Amino acid sequence: MGRRRRRRVDPADAARALPEAIAVLTRTLPTGPSPETFRRAKFDRPEAAPALWRLLFCVLSPMPADGASPSLALEAQARSVKAALRFQGYPRRALAQLPDDGSQGGRELLLALAWLLARGPTLEQLLAQSRVRLGDEMPVCECESLASPGPAVPSVEADGCVDIRHLQWLMGKLRFRWRKLMASQQEQCALLGKIHSYTRGCHSDRSLGHLSVTETELLRDPEGGQQLLQRLERENVRLEAALEWRRRELVFWQWMDTVLGACPPEASQPTFLPKIPAQGAAELELVVRELQALQEELQGVAETRPYDPFDLLVDTWAPPASLHEQDWVGGHGPEWSASRRALQEAVRQDLVALQWAWERGGGLAQPHGPHRLVRTEAGAPEGRGLQATEVIEVLRSREACLEVVLGQLQGQCRQELARLVGTLPGLIWIPPPGR
Amino acid sequence: MLPADCSSRLVAELRDALDSCAQRQRQLERSLRISRRLLRAWEPAKTPVPEPTPGPETDEEVPSSAFTACSPSPQDLKELELLTQVLEKAVRVRKGISKAGGDKAPTVKSESTATSPATRASTRLRASDWTGSHASETKPPRGIRQTRVPAKDLSEHRLVSVEDPACIGRGARAAKLEPSRRSQETVPLAAPQAREVFTLKDKGILLQLPVAFRKAASQNSRLWAQLSSTHTSDSGDAATTAKNHFLQKMQTTSGWPSSRLSPAEVEAEVGRLQKACSLLRLRMGEELTADPKDWMQEYRCLLTLEGLQALAGQCLHRLQELRTAVVEQQLEPWPEGRLPRASSPCGGGADTIRSPPLLLYSSTQELQTLAALRLRVAMLNQQIHLEKVLMAELLPLVREQEPLGPPWLALCRAVHSLLCEGGERFLTILREDEPAD
Repeated sequence: MGRRRRRRVDPADAARALPEAIAVLTRTLPTGPSPETFRRAKFDRPEAAPALWRLLFCVLSPMPADGASPSLALEAQARSVKAALRFQGYPRRALAQLPDDGSQGGRELLLALAWLLARGPTLEQLLAQSRVRLGDEMPVCECESLASPGPAVPSVEADGCVDIRHLQWLMGKLRFRWRKLMASQQEQCALLGKIHSYTRGCHSDRSLGHLSVTETELLRDPEGGQQLLQRLERENVRLEAALEWRRRELVFWQWMDTVLGACPPEASQPTFLPKIPAQGAAELELVVRELQALQEELQGVAETRPYDPFDLLVDTWAPPASLHEQDWVGGHGPEWSASRRALQEAVRQDLVALQWAWERGGGLAQPHGPHRLVRTEAGAPEGRGLQATEVIEVLRSREACLEVVLGQLQGQCRQELARLVGTLPGLIWIPPPGR
Repeated sequence: MLPADCSSRLVAELRDALDSCAQRQRQLERSLRISRRLLRAWEPAKTPVPEPTPGPETDEEVPSSAFTACSPSPQDLKELELLTQVLEKAVRVRKGISKAGGDKAPTVKSESTATSPATRASTRLRASDWTGSHASETKPPRGIRQTRVPAKDLSEHRLVSVEDPACIGRGARAAKLEPSRRSQETVPLAAPQAREVFTLKDKGILLQLPVAFRKAASQNSRLWAQLSSTHTSDSGDAATTAKNHFLQKMQTTSGWPSSRLSPAEVEAEVGRLQKACSLLRLRMGEELTADPKDWMQEYRCLLTLEGLQALAGQCLHRLQELRTAVVEQQLEPWPEGRLPRASSPCGGGADTIRSPPLLLYSSTQELQTLAALRLRVAMLNQQIHLEKVLMAELLPLVREQEPLGPPWLALCRAVHSLLCEGGERFLTILREDEPAD
């Protein structure tokens, strides 16, 4: 008959399962603290705290793209972690009250880590961010350009007043930088094109066909290639651990429940934190103003139309051949209402699709993210991936839209300024020669 | 002079824009350095480049023979010597052709039928014609190279390698002995018959990735595929339930109500509503400029405008809700010193987890157009953002300032150029003076 089988794991196995699960977790994490740290953290031992602060910092800040990240002191890391967790809506206040010097708080930090892991595909995202990129990649969407990183340090230069000429100078500098950027980008593309065509047929993966810059560099510089290989292998280890974690994580969550149970409950009345006016609030106001302006414009348009747009139509247009005159004028008849309903439905669906565009990020049909560049012969069989011509078309239409928007904004300014100045007598306003 | 708070906001925005430009430029410069270096002649690696031998051997066979063969027979060596001589000739012929103006990557394979052995003097002469080289790769006619490579040593990575009979048995101690052996080898071979330089243009197609790397790379893509597939499947409903239970417990043991919005959520929603505003405005513009041809089109246009108005109202309502929520909950909307967003705003989720999909281009021109358009779109986005910020700050200044003397005119002129011409052009203001009498 054997032992009594329980739904949960046998205690003896459970004793092994948890340390193994934690060991697997530490293998997937970027700066894996030792499993011992986790155990100490449960009992809120102070020595566990610094390692966990560092780990949280690593998890919450993206890998710097430039490679060189100045390593911050522990206090600075702790402050960043607190701010980031508060930004994400971390519920427990005890973390905010921990000292920055990393002397306490192992258990609270462990809870924070578990919270981050439970909320989303944190491990996978971490791995994806630091992933070894073997190809020449180019993003096909503009999401990264729109997401402004925001100053990590609030602008310390309290310059005081500046003259508007300083602003003009900064704008000029910006224009120059863009020009330079365009030129460098063109050069880089030309070089990429050459490298891709010179290494045709060299890749072991036939669908790719040629080597990328990283791969060619690997061949040119064996030492660098060795490092790349090591990074790849380390990543493979982490990936394997992540896959194994999926199988073992249940026991970790059960354990975290007990850790949470061991904490004293928090007071139910939250202390009110001082509100700091910041950049985000200004953004919100900006959007409110924009929407209000838009609403006013739409209202203005609507006021020129009669209450039922149909009255206008009946007056303006000749009836379609299929309708009698009196039906047209009266707005009756089955064909009539059928057409009306059909149109109403079409417009409704149109608007729903429009709403999707901003709520769901344009739907999943739009390609996102970095794509690996592959040079092929024109007219090669389709279906392998995204064609550059399609992306170019999309970008062109996007460019046209944006130019329209910019033009509208500038036109608005022109009108406003003309209105302000126009009230003064004796001034002649000569605009610069148009384009 | 502009007031202090206005100045600091505007200067901060412009500096932000400049910094993001500078960051892109830095990344580009890095890539450019690497690419330029790749297209020049390559410096010799620690182990000199062996001669590639195309011909009857396929790509797959060569490395395996390099790694497994330990003692080639004299006959093999002779054959190899012949092949090498053939290749020297081919290289000479090819140089002649490429000098004559061909710019395409040569295919050595097609020229391996040349049979007369190379003369050393001629190859030495050819080698001196190479420009821009730091190089001097000795190219002994016997194509001798020690290639017994320990599993992970990438120092031997080019095609073809044949064991020197004198090197038999050095095998496993290759790593330690290599430096000394190299110096030994280069001494007898120091009477260079020819100095060949490796350029990507000429010999690029002969490159081949090392086996260790290929294995690691394929394992890597396999693991990523596995990770993304199990991600979408329910890898343990029990685990998911346990996670949710934990999250809920965290929420309830903390003092705060679960209906709180986190600053991240508020920010995300504000971003969406901003996008909504621009999409609605764009659509409104389209409908207003459309020219209806019949009653159906006009009716549709009118209905759409009505719908847009309703949507705008909904968005505004939602924004106002957010605003009061932020105030009520005493949220610090965007705490200072916060880290840049950790999760990528786009494609975060399943898409980034798989291997990156392919983007196929067919000519350098196409690639350049694509890249230029991307930059242009990014630049326009930035310009529009700056325009909105400048408008919000500068127009009120112009409106408020009452003294309408020359400083105000100068301000107007400057504001006009910034807001209406992107800072590129200036207008002229003429003032009519009262006649003297």
